[in-house]
Amino acid sequence: MIIAAASLVLAVAACGAFVFRKRLNVVGPFSLGAIVVAFVLVIVTPLDATGGLLDLELRSSGLGRLASSVILATLFLLVLDVWLDEPAYNFFPTALAVGATSLGVLVLTAPLAIFALLVLGLLVPVGSFTFQVHRNRSVEAATRHFGFVALGGCLGIAALALAASLPHEQPANTFVLLVVVLVVAFALLLAAIPFHTHAALLAGEVPPAALALYFGILVPTTFIAFVEILTLSGLLPAIVQVVKVQDLLHGIGLTSAVGGAFLATGAPDLRRLVVYSVISNLGAALVGIATLSGPGIIGALATVIVTGVSASGQLLAAGTLERLSAPERPTARKAPLAALAFVVGGFAMSGAPPLLGFPGRFFMGLIAYQFAPVTGTALVIATLLLIVGQLRAVLALFGTGVERWTIEPRPVAGIIGSVIFIALLAGGIQPEGFLRPIASFADEFLRALRPL
Amino acid sequence: MIALGIVALATLAANGSRQLRYSAVALLGVSIAANALTAGQLTVTQLAVEGCGALVACGILYVAARDRTYGEDPGWRLWLATIVAAAATAACFATLRTATSETVTVPLIGEDPSGVTAQVAAFWLISSGVAILVTARSPVRGSMGAILMITGVELLVRLLTVPQLGLSLLLAWVEVVIALAGGFLIVNERVVRES
Repeated sequence: MIIAAASLVLAVAACGAFVFRKRLNVVGPFSLGAIVVAFVLVIVTPLDATGGLLDLELRSSGLGRLASSVILATLFLLVLDVWLDEPAYNFFPTALAVGATSLGVLVLTAPLAIFALLVLGLLVPVGSFTFQVHRNRSVEAATRHFGFVALGGCLGIAALALAASLPHEQPANTFVLLVVVLVVAFALLLAAIPFHTHAALLAGEVPPAALALYFGILVPTTFIAFVEILTLSGLLPAIVQVVKVQDLLHGIGLTSAVGGAFLATGAPDLRRLVVYSVISNLGAALVGIATLSGPGIIGALATVIVTGVSASGQLLAAGTLERLSAPERPTARKAPLAALAFVVGGFAMSGAPPLLGFPGRFFMGLIAYQFAPVTGTALVIATLLLIVGQLRAVLALFGTGVERWTIEPRPVAGIIGSVIFIALLAGGIQPEGFLRPIASFADEFLRALRPL
Repeated sequence: MIALGIVALATLAANGSRQLRYSAVALLGVSIAANALTAGQLTVTQLAVEGCGALVACGILYVAARDRTYGEDPGWRLWLATIVAAAATAACFATLRTATSETVTVPLIGEDPSGVTAQVAAFWLISSGVAILVTARSPVRGSMGAILMITGVELLVRLLTVPQLGLSLLLAWVEVVIALAGGFLIVNERVVRES
């Protein structure tokens, strides 16, 4: 029960926040308090403890604790920003419910339950995606998100259920078909298939804080859930035997990595730049997983976690810049601290040393070159394109110069960006504490890959 | 077998209806028939949990419609969804059937221990849901497709020999949240359309 306590606290708090959602001065501190309590509960839960809730088995793993801590810290910063800088009353219960489901996903051990809870979490933000519906296409964006999640979620759960009930003497093609359906389902959930309009429309029409909730919290959780489900479902040995599945993962990964980076270089606004950068990094992470190797898995998970944090900081900064610069294009003159936060977030997003994004990207590049030189080269090209995209944003923000460095009236996004930068810098200088639990999970993954 | 027929007919009724309220009632029919198909494999608690989930989900869609006339005309989408669902059900049953018995005996009335009817119903609901969801123009048919899919998924999960209560509860919640999100989008879309 103690393992699920943090998740349950957030779930109950989400119900409370829903009741008081229109009283911002109550719901803001209440939500922050609930997140702090959940954080403490995550930290005090003993590592590798097991338990049960109803008939579902729970386990507190190192990766789960690390990811939960990062998720809760990011959630805290998002809630703080919305409370102080960009009030949106639907956001608070949504954020707490998303936190509850994310933490639940990280402690469950049954693949079907993980998937069902993940779908629940991905559906919840629909309520905070719609905003000023007469003036924009946020309803359409939310409807597309709903459709993709429902489609991917149901197909994925069905594939897992069928895989679990198939007799072992089935032909390999049946397993291949189910794994392909599972991979496609996750690709739909992650918005990892580039050039489809789902992510672009979300980026353009949805409030920045809700966007940060999705790309900063839910997308990393979905990726971790994907890797955990592969590990726990017993499908990995079948994947190793059939090269097609590995090729599929590679194909989706490389297309997303390079395609997302290309789109990022030509992104028409700051939000789209961040979203395409996330898609590119997710693609690179999929390539890391597809190598089915220790460094690939470590690199993939480390990159995804750092990407989530960086994306949150950048999206909040982009929102502030847009709001303070409107109706003109965002510029550093109106909000220099937020512009700086956006720029340093971009460093982390493109894996620049000495920030925490670097070790993961280094591992992925290294193993990708070893796997196939073309793959390694494609990942390096994707990184270079991301850097170009981020540099274009720097020029757009600072190109006209800043006459007077007067800090904006409420520099919440700027301060949050600075906090994220300092945390990523500290983690980058001393990455061992961050990488150890991920490496421990990579061992589990490899054991599941080749069971004795 | 009769329950399977009701599932198929109620799915067609939900798919073909121009009014969301009628679709919601038909979806409830689908869910009741689907529960009847696997009633013997679940405890009363699990049946109650999933039944309540379906009832609440259909109730939410019924209320979200706000009046009897609101809905979406399926037009050619009805035929496309039906043809795709029929073809996909046959293909899925041929390739992914997990019912173990060699000779399939399907009783007209009563329980089907081989699980064949439940699996056919699940494949039918999932493929119908996919076809409806992919061709949907608005959240009205999107929500309907999603609820059909999750009902099919519930049927597939029930065939597993694992502890079911937690999964039943989670899937029932997913169904309710699908309906809530769908209902929220339906209401918002109507506001946009009428403004």
